[in-house]
Amino acid sequence: MTLDLLTTHYNYYAVVLLLGIGLYTVIESRNLVKKVIGMNVFQTGIFLFFITLAYRAGGNPPVVTEGAGPYVSPLPHVLILTAIVVGVSLTAVALALVVRVYSEYGTLDEHTLEELYHD
Amino acid sequence: MTDVTSLRPLFAVLVSAVAIPVILSLRSRPNVREGVTLTVAATKFALVASMVPGVLSGTTYVTRIGELGDGISLVLRADPLGILFALLASLLWIVTSFYSIGYMRGLSEHAQTRYFASFAASLASAVGVAFGANLVTLFVFYELLTVSTYPLVTHDETDEARAAGRKYLTYTFGGGVAVLGGTALVYVLTGTTAFTPGGIEALAGADPTLARVAFGLLAGGFGVKAALMPVHSWLPDAMVAPTPVSGLLHAVAVVKSGIFGIARVVLDVFGTETMAELGVAAPLAVVAAITLLTASVIALRQDNLKRRLAYSTISQLSYIVLGLALLEGEALVGGLLHIPAHAFMKLTLFFCAGAIHVETHTDDISDMAGIGDRMPLTMAAFAVAAAGMAGIPLIAGFVSKWYIVIGALEGGGLVFAGALLVSGVLNIAYFWPIVYQAYFESPDGHDKKPLVTAALGGRGSPRADGGHEAATHASADETAAHGDDHEAATHEGHDDHHGGPPAGGWDVRGWRGAESTWFMLGPILTAASLSVLLGVVPRTAVFLRIIETVVGSLPGVMG
Amino acid sequence: MIDHLIVLLVVLPILGAAVPPLASLRYDRVGWAVATATALGHAALAGALAWTVWTDGVVRYAVGGFVAPYGIELVADGLTILLVALISAVSLGVLAYARHAGPHENSFYSQFLLLVAGLSGMTVTGDVFNLYVFLEITGLAAYGLVASGPGARSAVAALKYLIIGTIGASLYLLGVGYALAATGTLNMADLSDKLAAAGYDSTLVLTAFGLIVAGLLVKVALFPIHTWQPDAYADSPDSVSAFISALVSTVSAYALARVLFSVFTVDFLEAVPIARQALVAVACVSIVAGSALAVAQSDVQRMLAYSSVSQFGLVIAGFAIATPLAVVGATVHLVGHAVMKGGLFAATGIIERKTGATTVGGYAGIAGRAPAATGAFTLLALAMVGVPPAVGFMGKWYIVLGAVNAGSWPVVAVLLASTLLTLAYFARLAERLYFAKATIAPEAVAADGGERVSTAMIVTVVVAAVLAVGLAAAVPVIDQLIDMTVFELMLQ
Repeated sequence: MTLDLLTTHYNYYAVVLLLGIGLYTVIESRNLVKKVIGMNVFQTGIFLFFITLAYRAGGNPPVVTEGAGPYVSPLPHVLILTAIVVGVSLTAVALALVVRVYSEYGTLDEHTLEELYHD
Repeated sequence: MTDVTSLRPLFAVLVSAVAIPVILSLRSRPNVREGVTLTVAATKFALVASMVPGVLSGTTYVTRIGELGDGISLVLRADPLGILFALLASLLWIVTSFYSIGYMRGLSEHAQTRYFASFAASLASAVGVAFGANLVTLFVFYELLTVSTYPLVTHDETDEARAAGRKYLTYTFGGGVAVLGGTALVYVLTGTTAFTPGGIEALAGADPTLARVAFGLLAGGFGVKAALMPVHSWLPDAMVAPTPVSGLLHAVAVVKSGIFGIARVVLDVFGTETMAELGVAAPLAVVAAITLLTASVIALRQDNLKRRLAYSTISQLSYIVLGLALLEGEALVGGLLHIPAHAFMKLTLFFCAGAIHVETHTDDISDMAGIGDRMPLTMAAFAVAAAGMAGIPLIAGFVSKWYIVIGALEGGGLVFAGALLVSGVLNIAYFWPIVYQAYFESPDGHDKKPLVTAALGGRGSPRADGGHEAATHASADETAAHGDDHEAATHEGHDDHHGGPPAGGWDVRGWRGAESTWFMLGPILTAASLSVLLGVVPRTAVFLRIIETVVGSLPGVMG
Repeated sequence: MIDHLIVLLVVLPILGAAVPPLASLRYDRVGWAVATATALGHAALAGALAWTVWTDGVVRYAVGGFVAPYGIELVADGLTILLVALISAVSLGVLAYARHAGPHENSFYSQFLLLVAGLSGMTVTGDVFNLYVFLEITGLAAYGLVASGPGARSAVAALKYLIIGTIGASLYLLGVGYALAATGTLNMADLSDKLAAAGYDSTLVLTAFGLIVAGLLVKVALFPIHTWQPDAYADSPDSVSAFISALVSTVSAYALARVLFSVFTVDFLEAVPIARQALVAVACVSIVAGSALAVAQSDVQRMLAYSSVSQFGLVIAGFAIATPLAVVGATVHLVGHAVMKGGLFAATGIIERKTGATTVGGYAGIAGRAPAATGAFTLLALAMVGVPPAVGFMGKWYIVLGAVNAGSWPVVAVLLASTLLTLAYFARLAERLYFAKATIAPEAVAADGGERVSTAMIVTVVVAAVLAVGLAAAVPVIDQLIDMTVFELMLQ
């Protein structure tokens, strides 16, 4: 039973792992760039979740041609395409902010920034 | 009773609200500003008074402002109970306005514009409280009253005043929250919060536990402003406000709005019958009795005159609550009559304290020996009002107390009647020395005041629990009491502003008003005469007739 | 045209947002004019939409002609038009304020319009994934706006906001994934049926609920996931703090209500009482903790930010109780809080310009130097405390009634206590403003060159203060609008 779950649901373990790594990095890392990376990993976990959700054993890509069915669900793919676009824009904005912070303070360390504030 | 739609209750509220921006805009022209205050005060009184005959003949005037959603219907309604409070507040506002002018100018106080504007706002709210036709409307004005009186309490802008203001807001908003909770509960239980003489019917059939909780919240919430113990301590602290404020607001408008709220809850929300069924009246009566005795005892030890008066107020307010809580016809009449009676008398006393402060900068009773020479008329008025407080016949306090005692005896509340009488004795104990020393002692030769100066229980270091001022004075007295030249030691180092008689003893001023300005003497004498009037001819003075109408309209209560 | 009103509400500001960057090629400061013209157009559209809904009932619109549940559906009902009107009104108010207060760059106004588009989209959408997209558009614009302040401090605040906001939105997206797995649909109306069919006790549905609500609560900024908010509000320009404090959390809370009532429905809340209790508990903790943190602040803007944490606890508690009265109350408080908090932030901006005061200590004795702004500030603070008859009282009254009806006594106690908690942090400001000696010498500001304040800025703040009282009269209308909304509420 356990083995069965492990073999059939391995994609979800990957998802959980990515989410965990991402969240941990965001919370634990003091470096702002690493935080952004963690955020990206977190999002990737979600993308993976959606894509594997659409998987259907023996399914074909959702390009309708005569007698090609069954297809995998096209909807999650479409959604994630949108979500990736959103993710890219977020990363771009985040990196732009990181650049500005660095050029101003010369550091990306959260604690150092805190100390700078209190001076 | 017939309801007549009329805008008069609304105008009575609005007239002083409209005056606020006018007063604020006249910052640079104080004479016009005070003219506006007086005009508005007179107009307000005229508006309220114009409704009295109609109300006595069974008409009520109603203004519907609007429905603001479920349970929030703003309605003003001039019924007998409301007109009692509104008439009192608007009448005394006129008197206080004159006095304020004399007081504020006599001391060259700062921020007088803010002071007069806040006063107008307070009066608008107070009349709104009086005319609120349901708990929600009452609550709206009750909270506005808190807000509009806050600048008056904090007027001095000293640390002490700010602390008092903070305490005032915390206590009264805390009470307001309880009232809000109780109101919501009543609304959910009955679907209405409209005042109905004899009580809201649906409440009698409601879940008794919830109904008791609702009563507890409402009585407790209003009890804060009514200064019931143990939530009274904001009142003595609020005495840091200018004396007209202590007089009109902290003896009449604000504290009476709390009393009035309790009266509404007892008479028009729960009704005497439901109260008796729920068994909530007895605890209220006990709290009131304890308060009136304890406060009287504490008053004995106050050296600061205004603080002594404040504790006296706490005690006297509980007379009213006790009268209401006894649920007997006579006691209700007495309790309600004590609202105007106490107002007239306490206003007189505060005005006297204020006049003494303005003229001599004296605040402490221990410095007032022989002051009858300096301020004979003021101290005479003080004596009259103090006698009324103690319940001496021919003065207002006697009539109301008489009714309450009769009611207590009829209802079998022997303990309560006893408490009232003991408190009367205590009243004499804390007022008589002031009057006596004013006329029959001199600064150089007066008796010691062991009650004020000695330690409780006769041991330990001396400390009067009357605030910092009182405490320092008391210890000064104590150290000096060992020497012969007591007086010199006590007042050495006091500058003019610190009070007490001048070096050569008090000047002797005649009985023809040389002691102060007529702006202050006039109001003092008016208030004193009103308390005598109410004591001699209570019916002619309208208030008793209004009260009999109130009580007469209650089902199941013997008028 | 009239059929497309609802979609234009989103499209117009997006198009408007494209203009300022293009115009930058030739002109320097056209951003404000473009934004104002667009916002006026948005207001006209909002008015027309409101009128249509008011007279003809709920409007449904299939984007691109793809019919629901396959295409994206936009829905406008009573609650929607209320929020749309709020967005329009606040945008115009903030524009009037920003005319003088700045920022003046074209890019600022581009982001401003993008935020309006995102908020409008969140309000009108009837599709949970579409909601995610608009949530992120709103987020992106808000991060940019926060960063538009001078100095890199605002960039740090924006980055913090961005990371936490993205995690929140991602959680929401994950929840949507679970809902999709359970039902195979994304349309709100369709979801509500199919979730019921899937069974409210199914793990997928429960997980979806948990993740979606958690994600939105991050955006609403309830305790303990509020940490992005104080920095974002305090370190951004005044126009921005007024704008986002008034709208971003507000629309997120609206989205939460949408999800609660239109997607999961009250039946779910009844079937899974633990979900409701958990939400109520989080809200109550937020009320108390937010106030406690607000009291501890010395910076006024940060204090106002923590006050939002507390006030949104009140709103979410109202929604979670879910009786009609409580929901009306929560909605009233949602709208009222937007006006009050926006006005308070705008007032702090004026006060800072005129007197240089930004801290609670600095506010001492400066009432005379900025009488209109401090007066409005005090009035708004009193309204927030819940002094009747201001709108802050009305919302509280309804929520309390709802809670009493539902018999949730601990909630009633917390709600009532919230008045005193709010008083605790506002009273000390009012006291200092009017009754304390100034700690900042007037000359200090004059030497700084004490920035000028435009009439429009003052008018904006005063209008907010007037609305904080006047909106109380609109409560019956809001009551009626809730009746016109497409969700069933708890029976009393």
